[in-house]
Amino acid sequence: VSLTLALTKGRLLEGSAALFRRAGVPFPNGDGRRLVVSEGELRFLFVKDIDVATYVEHGVADCGVVGRDVLLEAGSDVYEPLDLGFGRCRLALARLRGARLDLSRGGSLRVATKYPRVSARWFRERGVSAEVVRLGGSVELAPVLGLADCIVDVVETGRTLEENGLEVVEEIAVSTARLIVNRASFHARRQPVARLLEALRGVAG
Amino acid sequence: VSRPGLVQVPRGVQCFVGDEARRRRAIEARVLEVFRGWDYEEIIPPLYDYAEVFSDPALQTSTVSFLGRDGELLALRSDFTSLLAKIAAGRLARREPPIRLYYSGEVLRDEPLQPGRQSELYQMGLEHLGGGSRAADAELLAVAAECLERVGVADWVLAVGHVGVFGGLVGRCDLDGAGRTALRDRVDSRDPAGVRELLDGTETAAPVAAALESLTGLAGGVDTLPEALESVACSPEARAAVVELRAVVAAAAEAGLAERLVVDLSEVRGFGYYTGLVLRAYAPGLGFDLGRGGRYDGLLARFGRPLPAVGLMFGLDRLALVLERQGRVPEPDPAGPARVPARSLGAGLREARERRARGERVRFGDGGAA
Repeated sequence: VSLTLALTKGRLLEGSAALFRRAGVPFPNGDGRRLVVSEGELRFLFVKDIDVATYVEHGVADCGVVGRDVLLEAGSDVYEPLDLGFGRCRLALARLRGARLDLSRGGSLRVATKYPRVSARWFRERGVSAEVVRLGGSVELAPVLGLADCIVDVVETGRTLEENGLEVVEEIAVSTARLIVNRASFHARRQPVARLLEALRGVAG
Repeated sequence: VSRPGLVQVPRGVQCFVGDEARRRRAIEARVLEVFRGWDYEEIIPPLYDYAEVFSDPALQTSTVSFLGRDGELLALRSDFTSLLAKIAAGRLARREPPIRLYYSGEVLRDEPLQPGRQSELYQMGLEHLGGGSRAADAELLAVAAECLERVGVADWVLAVGHVGVFGGLVGRCDLDGAGRTALRDRVDSRDPAGVRELLDGTETAAPVAAALESLTGLAGGVDTLPEALESVACSPEARAAVVELRAVVAAAAEAGLAERLVVDLSEVRGFGYYTGLVLRAYAPGLGFDLGRGGRYDGLLARFGRPLPAVGLMFGLDRLALVLERQGRVPEPDPAGPARVPARSLGAGLREARERRARGERVRFGDGGAA
């Protein structure tokens, strides 16, 4: 096996499969349960999205595919040499439709999110005192039920927000899928890493 | 009644015993032997010093400080380079340069909880103070290479760069302080899309933006330096840095290290005191660098003795781990000790002393009476 790749079974799996096939890089059939699959010269690990960054940072995987939103939150020490173009979404601040939100310098509010680091940093840069409530999912419920004044979450089409009576106030970041590479692998396994990068760069949108 | 948690090792520190400890000391001995072989002199620095010594921005949040009895703010050593720079400017002020020093010991960095990251780090390193820059840089690469060879790491590489390349280019960007920090972070992550995003819509000249983007992609052996020289042509400072790096790399290549060197001009993070050459050692099997170093020509001036300087250090944990992952763990010592019973205490002890005088390893008294 020349390289180990960490992938997520979630949102980005289909896009990754399509891209790898276009690039002529072998990709395992998603046959469900197996978490480690070898395909030619490559070994694939299927893990949770935030763990992709961890596996690659520690060099257990040489490369990985993960959304920029996750990278921003994980703050991992990895190379991010390739924007793969797919999996586009926004990381946005949203509130109940028509609700007041004091985002001025010195303002103060409570925000619910799966992205506590990104949120805390964004508010800090604006001088807004924000109390961040970390949630595991269904973040849209928090303002509806009064747990928080607003949320920071991933927005793809905006339908989920709309159905829960929320609206986007500001965009925090745009996210697409990224190919990430372990820093040591990039240098110490230069040839296979460069080959993979070259193949994917040719077809990345 | 004792608290069960009391016998745990607290977060951030480690404990080694038996073969683990022996393996680490064997690695340390080999590295220090290389340092001595290049005529570096050992220094045993203090465990703590004035907190101000460790004021590099990269250290501030992780240095553990405390108040001394007379109200001075002190700190446990968190960086040997800063400490040795201070000593070179103080205790060794009258010593003629160049000064070559090596050390081996622990630093303490109180970092946020992360698996695999310790607070107590065992480092073996050297500092070359006040020598001719190019010769010292070239020597540093040779010493680093010899350490990795001697320790027995397989397939290692030295990634070399020069902070002046990024420094020259960022100086020509239309960005404020926060923007520059963000740009540094994106270049360090080799993220061309991120670099574009930061520079789009600013008044940064197109060739400068293109050069910064190209830094993220430049990778490869010593043959990539001509390409690097061309791509940073818009900045005389960046160009001069590449020329400087090329001279040192060419020397190391001529000395037989061509296959081991890779050029990495995106390496721009870490300590703020670096001013020139930077290097990191990597090997397959470990996702982190094994050691690192660089030139810091401004640091000694902070302590009142302006001298150019360059240094490097290896992490003992990292070397031990990469050898283990590469399956290069030496066999434990097969010969056991001579067992000397203590049935007749005085006679037994005499026998043990006699065997010791002959240089034998003895184990006295186990399993017997008395």
